[in-house]
Amino acid sequence: MRHHLILRVITKLLVGTIFLFALYVQFHGDYSPGGGFQAGVIMAVGFILYGIVFSLAKAQKVFPPWLVHKLLAFGVLLYAGTGIYSMLMGYGYLDYTAIDPDHPSHGQHLGILIVELGVGITVTGVMVAIYYAFAARAPILSDEDW
Amino acid sequence: MLIVTAVTVVKTRSLFAIVALSGVFSLLSALLFITWDAVDVAFTEAAVGAGISTVLMLGTLALTSRAEKESAKSNLLPLFAVVLAGAVMFYGTLDMPEFGSPETPVQTHVGPDYLKRIPDDIHVPNAVTAILASYRGYDTLGETAVVFAAGIGVLMLIGGLRRRRINDDDKNSSDTKDTT
Amino acid sequence: MDFFFSFLCMVLIISGSFFVVIGAFGTYRFPDFWSRLHAASITDSAGVILLLIGMGIYSGLTLITFKLLVIGLFLFITGPTSTHAVANAALVSGLRPPQITNKTHKKTNSD
Repeated sequence: MRHHLILRVITKLLVGTIFLFALYVQFHGDYSPGGGFQAGVIMAVGFILYGIVFSLAKAQKVFPPWLVHKLLAFGVLLYAGTGIYSMLMGYGYLDYTAIDPDHPSHGQHLGILIVELGVGITVTGVMVAIYYAFAARAPILSDEDW
Repeated sequence: MLIVTAVTVVKTRSLFAIVALSGVFSLLSALLFITWDAVDVAFTEAAVGAGISTVLMLGTLALTSRAEKESAKSNLLPLFAVVLAGAVMFYGTLDMPEFGSPETPVQTHVGPDYLKRIPDDIHVPNAVTAILASYRGYDTLGETAVVFAAGIGVLMLIGGLRRRRINDDDKNSSDTKDTT
Repeated sequence: MDFFFSFLCMVLIISGSFFVVIGAFGTYRFPDFWSRLHAASITDSAGVILLLIGMGIYSGLTLITFKLLVIGLFLFITGPTSTHAVANAALVSGLRPPQITNKTHKKTNSD
C-alpha cells in the first residue's frame, strides 16, 4: 500500500479533471474538434484509470457492471429514438426539423446534441465493459514471473 | 516511419513490444492526419488508437503469454496473396485524379455545396460534426451500432453474465461470479 | 523589443527540441534500465516545459497561451508520475540497479 501512495494521490487529483474534459469535448463538438466518440473514450479512460490504480472492486462499486450494460444499450436507443420521434411527428427518420418545426436551426442544434450524447454514452459503456470483462479474470502469470 | 513501425510490429516476437509499437503507430497516424488539416480525425485516432486500444491490449496481455508462438506454416503464399491484392488496388487507383488535386468531384461539387448549406441550415461552426450528425446521421447510427455490437460480442465471449454452476469445485468460475 | 521576443522563443524552442532529442538518444544508448528511465524522463520534464514556454511566448497573451499553460501543468503532473510508476513496477518485480563491487577498496582502505 505504501509504495502506491503517489499514484493514488495523483489519480485522485486527475480523475475529476479527466471527467470535466470529457464533458467539455462532448458538448463543444459543435464549436471545436470533438463530439461523441472522443468524449466517450476520454470518460471511459477516467473510469479505467480509477480501476487500475485502486482495485477493480472499488471501481465496480462506483460504476457497477449492471449499470454499464444498461448504458451500453441506452446510448443506441437514444440515437435511434430521436429518429423514431421524428417519424412519429410526421417527418422522415432522423429529420431534425421535427424537434422544433418553427425554427429549423434550433431543431438541428438540439438534434445534433442529443445524438452525440447517445454516441458518447454508448462508447463509454463499451470501453468500460470491455475493461471490466478483461480485468475480472485472474491473470495466468503472477507479478514476479514477468 | 509508419512503414518501419508496421514492419517491426510484424517481425517482433515479444508481445509487449508489439503492443507498445502499435500505440506508436496510432500516434504517428494521428500526426499525419494533423499535417493534412483533419483535426477531428486526428483527435479520435489519438484517443482511441494510442490511448484506449493500448490500455485494453495490455489488459489482454495480462491473460496470455509473453511471446508469440512460432508459426509452422511457410509465409510465402500469404505474402504472395497480399502483394497481388495490393497490386490490383494500385492498378485500380491509377485512373483516379491526383491526391489532393482541386478538380476532384469532392472538392468541386460535394465539399463547397455542404460548406454553403451549413451556415443556413444548421448554424454550427464545426462542419465535421454537422456533416457527421446531421447530413450523414444515418451512417453515424451505423457506427454506434457497430461499437455496440463489439461490446456485446466481448461480453458474450468473456462473460459479463452470471453463470450458475452446479459443481463449484472449478476455481475459474469464482471470478465470473464477481461481475453480473 | 519585438526582435528580443522572437529571439527568446527561438532559443527556448531550440533548447526544448534539443532536450527531447537528447532524451530519445539516451533512451537508446544507455546500458541498463535505470539510466534509460532517467533519460526518457528528461523528454517529459525539460523538453516539454521549454517547448511549451517557447510556444506560449510566441503566441503572446491570448487564449492559446492559457491552454498551453494548462497542458503544461497537466504534463508536469503526469510526466514524473508515469516515470515513478515504471520505476516502482521495476523495483517491485525485483530489478535492482547494478552494484559497485568492493574488491579494490579493501586493499587500499587498510587503516
